[in-house]
This record gives sequence, structure tokens and C-alpha cells, in this order.
Amino acid sequence: MINRRDLIKGTAAVIPAAVGLQMLGTKWAFAAEDFSGPVDVLNYALTLEYLEAEFYRQGNQADLLSGKAADYLAAIQKDEEAHVVALKDTISGLGATPVAAPEVDFGPAFKSKASYLETAYTFENLGVSAYLGAAPSLLKEKGLLTAAASIFGVEARHAAILGVLGKKEAEGGVYKGAFEKPATRATVLKAASPFIVKAQTL
Amino acid sequence: MNSENLPSTPLATDPAAQVFGAKPVMTFGDEGQRRKFLRAAAVVGFGSTLVALSQRDKLALADASANDLEILNYALTLEYLEADFYTRGLKGGALKGRALELVTPIREHEQSHVATLTDTVKSLGGKPAAKPKFTYPDGTFDDKDTFLKTASTFEELGVTAYHGQVARIEDGDILAAAASIAGVESRHAAVIADLIDGNPFPSSFEKNKSMKAVLKAAGTFIKS
Repeated sequence: MINRRDLIKGTAAVIPAAVGLQMLGTKWAFAAEDFSGPVDVLNYALTLEYLEAEFYRQGNQADLLSGKAADYLAAIQKDEEAHVVALKDTISGLGATPVAAPEVDFGPAFKSKASYLETAYTFENLGVSAYLGAAPSLLKEKGLLTAAASIFGVEARHAAILGVLGKKEAEGGVYKGAFEKPATRATVLKAASPFIVKAQTL
Repeated sequence: MNSENLPSTPLATDPAAQVFGAKPVMTFGDEGQRRKFLRAAAVVGFGSTLVALSQRDKLALADASANDLEILNYALTLEYLEADFYTRGLKGGALKGRALELVTPIREHEQSHVATLTDTVKSLGGKPAAKPKFTYPDGTFDDKDTFLKTASTFEELGVTAYHGQVARIEDGDILAAAASIAGVESRHAAVIADLIDGNPFPSSFEKNKSMKAVLKAAGTFIKS
């Protein structure tokens, strides 16, 4: 069974600076291998957004939060749903087929306010790194790149606010340094897989 | 998702830009400069371009660099403004407790962005934009509210500035670097909004502004 600790452990492997540098150093190589083309990148992003949107739908339904935290997470859910719609439309607009939503299971994430916020925090930081890792694969697709970046920035906002709500340390918690770190598709898959029962793509 | 980001006026011919002391950009003069860039890029973590550069058409690279250097200098000017703003604001002593904790790293980030952008421009064979002299309305740093509301304006402007350039950047490594900074600016914007009881999530998609629009807005704070 998956638990939050596994997820966090998996994500911890995403972030270390040395790994980030190494990944940046081989960025072109992995970007080419990671994605077969723009549609593949967009479907990858769509799968992550499906995961996030469903996560917040279930979490907010569990009624664990109140006040500002409840307002913020309701807003985040709306953002993720808007990302899902935008990505689906974009993929369809390119004449391709959007992937179906993955089957998910968030395990004990909604047992408490603390575990909900902590898992959300982990998801958002993973999302930020996933978009940044995929960005070079959209380099030649300027319109798609701008769209993906506009989602990426909002994920960074979510990540920071979840850090604030979780009363994390400023540096290392709310912020992850002066530069966001990219993550490879494999790393993202590993971190997200505990929650995915079945997915068409990731 | 608007498309206000295109087109934008080149710094060299934009009167608003000249206020910032923008200098004409250069391209790689020789292989040595390129090598220097590769070393510096490795240090700052922008990656590695050895393989990428060697696989690319040299002429195309030179063109890309002229364009991208202009964008880097534009970003540098905005980061100078932010770094200066937070340095003065934190010196003013209006913040304490959690607000102070959350804003202190922002200054460090902006300083780090200045240093990295400066190094990158130099390494690419360009001349980094000079640091302008800044001016702020009286009382900006006297109290927490005024300081943080002004900070919010800067951060939101910075976010739109980076997003306005995403489609214009031609080099993959420079794009990755700019994006990695943009994400951090988004974090700042959200945190500052929360501190002033504003909205950390004003839109599901980051907005963007052209270079011209951003320089006009920032120009208010530039003395020379």
C-alpha cells in the first residue's frame, strides 16, 4: 500500500540540487527520449492535471478544511480543472486524442487536514518540476510553450501557498531556492505512481 | 491565455528601454567565448550546452543569441529593480515575524537572479545592462502594508514579464533558465498576495505582458 511517506520519499529524489544539475546537463538528451512530440507532452501534462483535479475534488469533499485553507484549496481545485479543460481542448485542436483520466487511489491522504495539505504540497512541487522538465520538448512550439508555461507558473503559486498553509520553513519549504528544478518523466512517474491504479500515459 | 506577448519592440530602438541604459547586444565572437559560456553555464546550472551547441547551425546560434541576450538584459533590469526594492524594504524594518521570514529569502532570490543573469550575459559575450538608479514614492518602506502592496505590484509585473518572453526565447537552455526563474517569481507573487490578504491565485493561467508594457510600468521607479 502506498502511503504519504513513500510519496514524499519518491519526490525527495526529484529535488536534490546535484540531481537537478545533472539533469539540466543532459536535458537535451532526455527531452528527446522522454517525449515523442508535442502531443505526448500535452497528454503527459493532462494526466498530471487529471490527477491533481481529482485529488482536490475528493479532498475538498472530505471537508477537512475551514477558513482560508478551504478557500485556497477550492480555488486550486478550480485551477486544476481549468488546466484539464485547456489541455484537452488544445490536444483536440491539434487533431489528436486527449488521454482518458487515470484511475486513481489516494490512499490515506484524506485522513486528516495535515495529510491532505502535505500530499497536496508534494503534488504541487512535483507538478512544477514536471512542467519545467518537459518545457524543452516544446521549444519549437511557441504557442504551446506559452500555454504550458502559464500553467507551470500557477502550479508554482499553488506549491508556495501550500507551503505557507503547512507552516513550512520559508526557504526549502515555501520556496525551493532561487531557481525551480526540473524533473524527468521517469522521476515524475515514480513519484505519482503510488496514486495511479491505471493510466493511459504518464 | 492571451497573446499580448507578441510582437515586442527591440530594446535598441525602444525609447522606453533606453531609459534602462540597455546596451546593444553582442554575439559570440569566437569559439573561446562559447567555451567560456559553457563553463559558466555549468556553474550556474543552466545546463549544458556543449552537445546542443555543437549540433546546431552556427549562424542560427548567433541570431538566437542576439535576440536572447536582449531578453536576458531586460530580465536583468527587472531583477535589479526587485533586488534593490527588497534590500531597501528590509532595511526599513517594517516587517517582523512570519512576514519577515517569508520576504527575506525573496531578496536573496532576486540577488541571485541578478548575479546569474549578469554572468550569463557576460558568458554569452554580451554586455550586461547597467544597474539603473531607482526611486520609490515617499513612505513606500515605512509600513508593512505599503511595502508589501508595492512588492505585490512588482512580483505580478515580473511574472507577466517572464511569461511575455517565453515564446520569444530561441535557445533551449536560456528558456529553461528563464522558466526556472519565472516559477520562483510566481511563488513570490502568491506569498506576498497572501501576506496582504490579496488573491494568490488571480488566474488559472499566468498572464503575460510585452516588453514595452512592462518597461512602461517599471519606468515609474527608474530615476536614471
